[in-house]
Amino acid sequence: MIAFTDIVGMDLAKKALMLLAIDPALGGVVIPSAVGSGKSTLARAFAGILPEGTPFVELPLNVTEDRLIGGVDLEATLASGVRVVQHGVLSKADGGVLYVDSLSLLDSSAISHIMDAMSRGEVLVEREGLSEVHPADFMLVGTYDPTDGEVRMGLLDRIGIIVPFTAQNDYRARKEVVNIVTGSRDPEDVRDELRMMAGFLDAAREMLPKVGITPEQVQALIQTAISLGVEGNRVDVFTVRAALASAALNQRSDVDDEDMKLAIKLVLIPRATRMPEREESAEDMPPPEEEPPPPDEESEEEDDSQQPDSPDADAEEEQEETPDMIEELMMEAIETELPDNILNISLASKKKSTSGSRGEALNNKRGRFVRAQPGEMRSGKVALIPTLISAAPWQEARKRDQKMAGRQKTALLISKDDVKIKRFRDKSGTLFIFMVDASGSMALNRMRQAKGAVASLLQNAYVHRDQVALISFRGKQAQVLLPPSQSVDRAKRELDVLPTGGGTPLASALYLGWETAKQARTKGITQVMFVLITDGRGNIGLQSSFDPNAEKPSKEELEKEIEALSLSIQADGVAATVIDTQMNYLSRGEAPKLAQHLGGRYLYLPNAKAEQIVDAALSF
Amino acid sequence: MTQTESSARKPAAKKPVARKTTAAKAGSSVAKAAPAKAAAASAKKKSGLAFPFTAIVGQEEMKLSLILNIIDPRIGGVLVMGHRGTGKSTTVRALAEVLPMIDRVKDDIYNRTTEQYLEGEADKKGAVKIDPASVKLEKIPVPVVDLPLGATEDRVCGTIDIEQALTSGVKAFEPGLLAQANRGFLYIDEVNLLDDHLVDVLLDVAASGKNVVEREGISIRHPARFVLVGSGNPEEGELRPQLLDRFGLHARIITINDVAKRVDIVKRRRDFDEDPEAFMKKFNNEQVKLQKKIQKAKTLLPSVSMSDEVLTDIAKLCMNLGIDGHRGELTITRTAHAHAAFMGQKEVTMKHVKDVAGLCLRHRLRKDPLETLDAGEKIERELAKVLGEAEAV
Repeated sequence: MIAFTDIVGMDLAKKALMLLAIDPALGGVVIPSAVGSGKSTLARAFAGILPEGTPFVELPLNVTEDRLIGGVDLEATLASGVRVVQHGVLSKADGGVLYVDSLSLLDSSAISHIMDAMSRGEVLVEREGLSEVHPADFMLVGTYDPTDGEVRMGLLDRIGIIVPFTAQNDYRARKEVVNIVTGSRDPEDVRDELRMMAGFLDAAREMLPKVGITPEQVQALIQTAISLGVEGNRVDVFTVRAALASAALNQRSDVDDEDMKLAIKLVLIPRATRMPEREESAEDMPPPEEEPPPPDEESEEEDDSQQPDSPDADAEEEQEETPDMIEELMMEAIETELPDNILNISLASKKKSTSGSRGEALNNKRGRFVRAQPGEMRSGKVALIPTLISAAPWQEARKRDQKMAGRQKTALLISKDDVKIKRFRDKSGTLFIFMVDASGSMALNRMRQAKGAVASLLQNAYVHRDQVALISFRGKQAQVLLPPSQSVDRAKRELDVLPTGGGTPLASALYLGWETAKQARTKGITQVMFVLITDGRGNIGLQSSFDPNAEKPSKEELEKEIEALSLSIQADGVAATVIDTQMNYLSRGEAPKLAQHLGGRYLYLPNAKAEQIVDAALSF
Repeated sequence: MTQTESSARKPAAKKPVARKTTAAKAGSSVAKAAPAKAAAASAKKKSGLAFPFTAIVGQEEMKLSLILNIIDPRIGGVLVMGHRGTGKSTTVRALAEVLPMIDRVKDDIYNRTTEQYLEGEADKKGAVKIDPASVKLEKIPVPVVDLPLGATEDRVCGTIDIEQALTSGVKAFEPGLLAQANRGFLYIDEVNLLDDHLVDVLLDVAASGKNVVEREGISIRHPARFVLVGSGNPEEGELRPQLLDRFGLHARIITINDVAKRVDIVKRRRDFDEDPEAFMKKFNNEQVKLQKKIQKAKTLLPSVSMSDEVLTDIAKLCMNLGIDGHRGELTITRTAHAHAAFMGQKEVTMKHVKDVAGLCLRHRLRKDPLETLDAGEKIERELAKVLGEAEAV
């Protein structure tokens, strides 16, 4: 096992974990990082710097509900005749660390349970006749690869520290990691280093209650949270705690500027939804393609999963009067710590998903077995073991009844009530991906139709467990405006401002839609339906979408590209509907052809109303 | 919460036993682990104390809707939806401390009143007539029951006690959360993420006020009337329309953007974390004051009246907003009564109506996907119209 002190690079992540070790009330640390950056090694090494005996529990991704929450240990119960309770993973982590690798792939019901436990500090077990409260006061350490998708915001809200995304370790660090792995270090040295680190943290923990923070400093931190558009008030407490822990780490009894900056960097900036307003540099957002040169630590990451929440709409809320000096300092911190595309640093990048194989593997299973639940024998797959388990305790009582009723003796008495059906987390809902042509003169109209259709589909989405995503294409590249979602509120907010005009990168839209579909499948969506609102005439090639200097393809090449993409998408089992809302004086039949290649339907609906589009999508 | 729940539960002191199990498990390494544990413990509400209701800064809409539901449980509960980290669950969990006491039949696992008890016992097979005078009563705080997302159906509805079956082969009914919640509050955090089959159960019971369990040849039927309180973040998922309709009130909650208030929130939170007991003491007076005010309003409620004019205006308002059915009018009327009582007034005026109209109607407006106007604004606009007409007459 590699020791914490051995890990080179990832200094910010290390610091974050040290702050957590000093003040567990920070709730946890999330480390988004690319594959192979050593993030999980670091997280596991974290156990080594905690006080001896602190639990460190790793949560398997395929954990079932009863393993997570706890329940009756039937084997032991039957053997002893007294109910024996088994604690769940959440409770086993009490007083220590719960570690999740690939946090973004964790099942949404598991996330809900973790969130619930974190907000209570305990687990309520109300299962299978058991009603207990188990302590579950843990720190959550999570690592994930942003290309796998985003982590639910509700969970992130309960975790104090989010380490800014690190794309790659520098060369030096990698080399040293290799050295360590090959065992070139003296174990004696390692032990001493760890011991020193432990002493260091002990001292910091002792210091922590003595650290002071001035009301002005608290106010400045809150001001910063507001100007960054951070949602919720819980985060204020985390920011203050992080600043205090940082001071304690440095054996200072007062919070200083560096502590404040670190707190802003680790707690607030990753949750920013808008650029703080400043006289001169108000709102010039660079296009996402421009990546700043990666400095060694917190570097860039394109694209945002959070709300590109119409920055101008609520930016002008109140520009406030705080102690000027501190505010100035905070602005400085934000500006220097941040690459200038703040809204594009993200916890998740949805640009590409390289995890195709994993997605498919999960797919074959048709959802994941989550729990057994009472049900009719014929209504699903019978869960044999849980059925036998639930029948077991009644055998004595039933045999007595049987004897009294004078019925014939049988070895095993199973009644209808015992039958448990397997329940899979198989959302089985459909993901509707709207792809709207936002180029050209009729774009505004199409956008309005699409928005209406999205909102209206979502109104009923709950019933069918459906999700809706919206991709717009214009200019050079298609863009996901609304990632797969079930929330009407979110859709309304994110679709507030829809830019239109420019070229028609149809191929890019198909590609992005396909990627979105693949990603959704890893999360249990089984059916995907493309709803394309376009005249089917693309004029920007896929190459040009990624590389502005690419040679402009000929019309034939463009057609070929779209045909090839469409056929692959069809082969992948994605359903499609192409809706042409254009007056077709000029149509050369591109839209019907597109529908044909996609194996979908073509509908010609000039001036379609939102409801018509919804009907078309649903009536497949 | 802890105290109310354990008093409602029949087999005494299950929770402490559970806690002991854990301690024993960690026993071997407990001494060394102490520093980390202590630090974590001081941070969260391990003390068992909930953050005091009266110490919660802002979020008046949510607080008022909870209080009105205590004053008149027939209002039908409240749904609190809004931003993350805005104190939704803290507020609901703080509620227990300001709730009044109620009478229930002594040791009754269903928290029944004498009437409910007599009725229930008379329904039993081979029932003997019980003399009402012989029924002993006891005072308990209004129960607040937490329904966690991971609850299984048998724990919600009740089931046969497995332990008794194992040890003595006896089939005894073990009441579920619905039994404990009778005449109290049932709270579901992240209600929009609740499993469909549990939503079905809740809808069923909420509609009938009764819970029926049939298992192992035993049939149990008991009253289960509770104030349903749900909270969640709308961005994580939508609520099923039928369930939405069940909630009397719908409070919205957003991030507080007032710096002074936020400084205050942080300060109070830190003070509480540092020394919960001292903090509770500081707010004790206010807690008691609020509790008394609520109790007074409850007593006053039956004598609060409403003029026909106000009733007409309410009807007009609901009509203009195009609200289907009469649940809107009914809720608004009851809520306005409770609000008047809370203000210590005996006559419901349009001011009371105005204060609660948004809470009562927000979730009952017909949804129009292309509507840009927020539901609250729409209600206010119609309200102003009705009020204007009333003044013009």
